[in-house]
Amino acid sequence: MEIKGSVALVTGGGNGIGEAVVKHLAKAGAKVAVVDMVQKNIDRVVKDIKAMGGEAVGIQANVTSEADTARYIKGTIEAFGQLNIAVSCAGIIRDGTMLSLDKETGKVSKKLGLDKWQAVIDTNLTGTFLTMRDAAEAMVNGGWQGLLVPISSVNKVGQVGQINYSSAKVADALMPKIIVGEFLMRGIRNIRCVAIAPGYTATPMLTGMNQDALKAILEDVHLGRLVAPEEIASLISYCVENEALNATTIEITGGLCYPKGIAK
Amino acid sequence: MPSLLYNDMQFSVEPSGDRWDISYKLPSGASALAAAGLFPGLSEADAAVRTLALVKTIFPVGIKSVGPDVTHPNRIGDLKIVGPDVTHPNFIYWDKDSVSSPKTL
Ligand SMILES: NC(=O)c1ccc[n+]([C@@H]2O[C@H](COP(=O)([O-])OP(=O)(O)OC[C@H]3O[C@@H](n4cnc5c(N)ncnc54)[C@H](O)[C@@H]3O)[C@@H](O)[C@H]2O)c1
Repeated sequence: MEIKGSVALVTGGGNGIGEAVVKHLAKAGAKVAVVDMVQKNIDRVVKDIKAMGGEAVGIQANVTSEADTARYIKGTIEAFGQLNIAVSCAGIIRDGTMLSLDKETGKVSKKLGLDKWQAVIDTNLTGTFLTMRDAAEAMVNGGWQGLLVPISSVNKVGQVGQINYSSAKVADALMPKIIVGEFLMRGIRNIRCVAIAPGYTATPMLTGMNQDALKAILEDVHLGRLVAPEEIASLISYCVENEALNATTIEITGGLCYPKGIAK
Repeated sequence: MPSLLYNDMQFSVEPSGDRWDISYKLPSGASALAAAGLFPGLSEADAAVRTLALVKTIFPVGIKSVGPDVTHPNRIGDLKIVGPDVTHPNFIYWDKDSVSSPKTL
């Protein structure tokens, strides 16, 4: 599929990886819908895209809401007449171990709260599902060529301290197999699905973290640095253009290894 | 350069080559871009009609209900909280903010 002239919707487009994706696609000639919870970030990104000579609409929404999802799909189509690419970058972390023990008694002092579990599942899994489902509905009914891109994470392998996040991300990584299998079953041939599983990426989420912790993380990355959001954006552009990429999840980590050298 | 008022928000539609940009006034008085490069080749009047439809979709009217927290567990310690019946057909769950009456706690 050609990027130039296509219409892309990116959730979480106001920051980090999502911002890099909308800008990369806009630069390549796509019309983009910037969907995010934070209006001032949306306004900034739309302004930047205008300065690049691109076409953009900003839509403030919460991806966990079914009504909001319907609204940003409709808004994108009202602005640009079609929808071809849907990238689900909106995501959050609420880390913590399932149980914490009291150092003196050895008894459980704290459990991971349902609030931390539910918020991550709602945003990272239900939000992705709603965007993929409603974008696919629009693409089928409109008869448009399409690509669905759930964003997973290399932590889909099961990261300690992230039972909520890893559970959501492993489910996101499964989506391409299920969605494309169902498309085949239903005779839907115009839409592909490729998930992206980034490793540690230089977004505000990570660059703002404790620098010692960051240094320790980088010791396990073969590339020796964080992945740049633009590198993920360029991989997504490649997925748009290469139609043989389908029903799979692609990792982009810079060579993230377990300590002692086995690649994750 | 048509300008329109919707949901207490002031929008204006400005030409940009053969396309249209939509900007809106922030509560601070500054201006922000809602969209850039839309509706190629449309006349000013047609662009204004399309803009109104679009802003109605992307900036829905609404109010934000400050409470109760319908997702709250029913018990805090020994205290039983009697919440609204959220399954009642008359219960309206509205969580959008209003520009003229923002949430104040
Ligand atoms: N940064 C990393 O190292 C990394 C690694 C692997 C995967 N990821 C995944 O990539 C995606 C983007 O991460 P990032 O680092 O760019 O994060 P980020 O925090 O920089 O950006 C996330 C954006 O999503 C928006 N958002 C959050 N909840 C939302 C909601 N309910 N509705 C609408 N928008 C919402 C935020 O406002 C923000 O703009 C996430 O899914 C994340 O899990 C990130």
